[in-house]
Amino acid sequence: VNGNQERGWNDPPQFSYGLQTAAQGAPKRTPLNKRVPPPQLTGSPCPVPGDFPSATAPMTPPTNPLAPPCSMNTPPRPCPVAAPPLGGVMATPPPPFPVVEHTDSASSQSENEPDVDDVVTLLNWALTACRHTVKKQVCNDVAKRLKLFEDMWKSGKLSLPVRRRMIGLVQELKSCNWDAADEIHRALIVDHVNEVGQWMVGVKRLIAETRNLNPDLLHTQEVDQSLDTSSAGNSD
Amino acid sequence: MRGVEWRKRVAMATYQEFIQQNEDRDGVRFSWNLWPSSRLEATRLVVPVSCLFTPLKERPDLPPVQYEPVLCSRANCKAVLNPLCQVDYRAKIWACNFCFQRNPFPPSYAGISDVNQPAELMPQFSTIEYIVQRGPPNPLIFLYVVDTCLEEEDLQALKESLQMSLSLLPPNALVGLITFGRMVQVHELSCEGIAKSYVFRGTKELSSKQIQEMLGLTNPSASGPQGRPAAPQDPAVTCRFLQPVHKVDMNLTDLLGELQRDPWPVPQGKRPLRSTGIALSIAVGLLEGTFPNTGARVMMFMGGPPTQGPGMVVGDELKTPIRSWHDITKDNARHLKKATKYYDALANRAAVNGHSIDIYACALDQTGLLEMKCLSNLTGGHIAMGDSFNTSLFKQTFQRVFSKDHNGEFRMAFGGTLEVSTSRELKVSGAIGPCVSLKAKGPCISENEVGVGGTTQWKICSLSPSTTLALYFEVVNQHNAPIPQGGRGAVQFVTQYQHSNTQRRIRVTTVARNWADAQSQIQHIESSFDQEASAVIMARLGVFRAESEEGPDVLRWLDRQLIRLCQKFGQFNKDDPTSFKLSESLSLYPQFMFHLRRSPFLQVFNNSPDECSYYRHHFVRQDLTQSLIMIQPILYSYSFHGPPEPVLLDSGSILPDRILLMDTFFQLVIYHGETIAQWRKAGYQEQPEYENFKHLLVAPVDDAQEILQTRFPMPRYIDTEHGGSQARFLLSKVNPSQTHNNLYSWGQETGAPILTDDVSLQVFMDHLKKLAVSSAA
Repeated sequence: VNGNQERGWNDPPQFSYGLQTAAQGAPKRTPLNKRVPPPQLTGSPCPVPGDFPSATAPMTPPTNPLAPPCSMNTPPRPCPVAAPPLGGVMATPPPPFPVVEHTDSASSQSENEPDVDDVVTLLNWALTACRHTVKKQVCNDVAKRLKLFEDMWKSGKLSLPVRRRMIGLVQELKSCNWDAADEIHRALIVDHVNEVGQWMVGVKRLIAETRNLNPDLLHTQEVDQSLDTSSAGNSD
Repeated sequence: MRGVEWRKRVAMATYQEFIQQNEDRDGVRFSWNLWPSSRLEATRLVVPVSCLFTPLKERPDLPPVQYEPVLCSRANCKAVLNPLCQVDYRAKIWACNFCFQRNPFPPSYAGISDVNQPAELMPQFSTIEYIVQRGPPNPLIFLYVVDTCLEEEDLQALKESLQMSLSLLPPNALVGLITFGRMVQVHELSCEGIAKSYVFRGTKELSSKQIQEMLGLTNPSASGPQGRPAAPQDPAVTCRFLQPVHKVDMNLTDLLGELQRDPWPVPQGKRPLRSTGIALSIAVGLLEGTFPNTGARVMMFMGGPPTQGPGMVVGDELKTPIRSWHDITKDNARHLKKATKYYDALANRAAVNGHSIDIYACALDQTGLLEMKCLSNLTGGHIAMGDSFNTSLFKQTFQRVFSKDHNGEFRMAFGGTLEVSTSRELKVSGAIGPCVSLKAKGPCISENEVGVGGTTQWKICSLSPSTTLALYFEVVNQHNAPIPQGGRGAVQFVTQYQHSNTQRRIRVTTVARNWADAQSQIQHIESSFDQEASAVIMARLGVFRAESEEGPDVLRWLDRQLIRLCQKFGQFNKDDPTSFKLSESLSLYPQFMFHLRRSPFLQVFNNSPDECSYYRHHFVRQDLTQSLIMIQPILYSYSFHGPPEPVLLDSGSILPDRILLMDTFFQLVIYHGETIAQWRKAGYQEQPEYENFKHLLVAPVDDAQEILQTRFPMPRYIDTEHGGSQARFLLSKVNPSQTHNNLYSWGQETGAPILTDDVSLQVFMDHLKKLAVSSAA
């Protein structure tokens, strides 16, 4: 995504949270740190670009003087960097938590629209479990934000990536993968703050409170009922 | 001659490996890796014995040990047990290699032997980290100080970034909010009910005690028998303004979302009334009174200069512009001295308490970084400078403050102190970097102060894995005092700090280098020269001097050092410039100096005072690789002729069929040569038979991505071409400027020769060689 050229000159491009996180630990593909000494001091002839011995055969003159060398006529260009990994960033060592853009649930593979009810059900399941021990005001505050999320989804205000990633988030929540769910919330708020800023903190809190619960509370009769009644009649 | 050259080449290659290994393991790069054995000889080497030291260099392979370090028992030594110490395993005694005191091992070491060594004695643990468990863990504190005199779009973007940051903070951190405009508001962050705030006038200076009283932090009814203020860690007292983020994140998100522009109307032709000075003093006072000596970060966000109250940098009349260099040299900057003094005092107070101050300044005009830079420079805080809060540059730079390492731990560290010990032939002259002196007395302190001197202990309130200090030493051995055969000098760096996971840690690095007699071993000493480290070390000295001296004097000084170095180590026939040569270990050094002289760190007039402060701020704290990029930008050339290759930073490298990628650290420039630009415009890259051209266009972009994705602060990104308006970023670095170009002239005061500004590298080298070989010099 390009930077904001209207507000800042030469604004750099914007990278996703996932990309930046992965890049932090990755070894440099092409460390650009070499310098050339000036010829006057080493006594060697002045190095001009192209002076370095080339591994390729001399370039054949292009048929059209205004065109770059044609791929067909020239020998294949040697790889410009030392063995670049296929697919660029994806070949770097895996980040500590799943990079959600690439490990989404089944819904991302299919062309089907993610279903808001699936997401809301799971969020409410967690909230119901929390109501046993977490302060009422906090739960209500969370509920208020979950409602806002639901309304925004239903009125078409949430983009597809946000909706997809929320599906991923609730799946992790259901599987008690708290760190993974947390990482998805972080990626969402970094990449889409204008869409999620108002309600995402409720999801954040929900994850934080749910992970601290006695695990038994996650499967009380009441809680399981809320799951069953909501999913009855849902496609799967 | 041949034999000497070959031996030097081999020695150089070996030293390069040695230098790299040492940097990888210990985070240290010395100017010389063989040390001259006398004071006199050391001064003749021109570049002092000195080093760049990165206290918290990332060492993914170094597991910390879970016990306290063993210290020398001599009162004025206190060096830490290390691999250089002699050990008597039978008697369970060790000899300190710095003061030779014999110390018994503590009882817990009863089981050690020469086949069962503790880690800290093993050579591969010349750098080792201890986790120390002393006292309860203190939470980290983040206090946001937010300017509300912003345009709507900017304010909205800033609010969103702040809301986002709540998800990035360490989980148990305490967070606080102060907003300011004409008035200053300290917000209570309670978990429930109506949000209250305490309002302060933006013009009235208050003492720390008064601030604490007005905020209700010194509660007489809660004090102890002597009427002391309530204990700082008492949650009943502090919970109102600095709350755990996991408790108040929802309320604070709403509070941030509801922030309005400062309501005070701004008449035509006026600037908003911004009480930055008072806002900061309240922030510093609040932290002083509640959490002294705990890791804390004041993060100040401002969209314009302070215009009222103490610390104001410019008045509110738009027709009076903020001071320029011209104003400053003509002594026409009304508020400069007073404002600088004000912020300097605040900075020192914060530093004493171990609190750091970040400045995030986003505006099209200057905001007063010149006056406020000490807030960050003395405390290790960041300065980010952008055009607007609604830019990718600000947003991503801010996000990266919270970046994590490979272990998923935050890169920021707090409350650092660095202590240096040296063997007795060396003394410490001082340090240059984001630190303040702890004014510690001791036997290793040199009387010749360089940078922050007169001490062997410094405080670095905020650190990252790249934070690097330059440390300067003095060889004190007398000329006729012999050094024992194979004798080595040693330096120990002890860094205590608070890890972002709130653990207290101590990292100890102990290094040694051989002494060498400069008379008989000058070639070896020369081969041990680290020209990259030396360039940065001398550059930091130059910048430090430039902050307190006149610019031309610094350039003259730099030139003198360079000429002396060339006279000492150059191979030449007297008065024959064409015979002049430098060995490989020095061949890049003159070029570094050439670019340093032209750099924004020393050529201030091409940039505003704020920009200069910003560039210098980053320069005196970065590690060696990044610092070198700032001095002499990297230039790579991409073509059909082969892999990308580094080329001279010279206009001769600009060719029509090449793409150039230039990294200045602050900018990434991709420049398309004339022919490439034409091909691109014609759209050849879209055609399948010209796929190689498409690859060529993409290659520098891909290489730039890696840098863009990780560098802090985020650089500007410029895609330009021959004839493009943005091409000036490249052209100004490779071409001498078009101003008057006189040949070498002689300085007035000292009569010392100087090299000129504004000449090409070729001409510079010619002058240098002439001066170096001249028997008149």
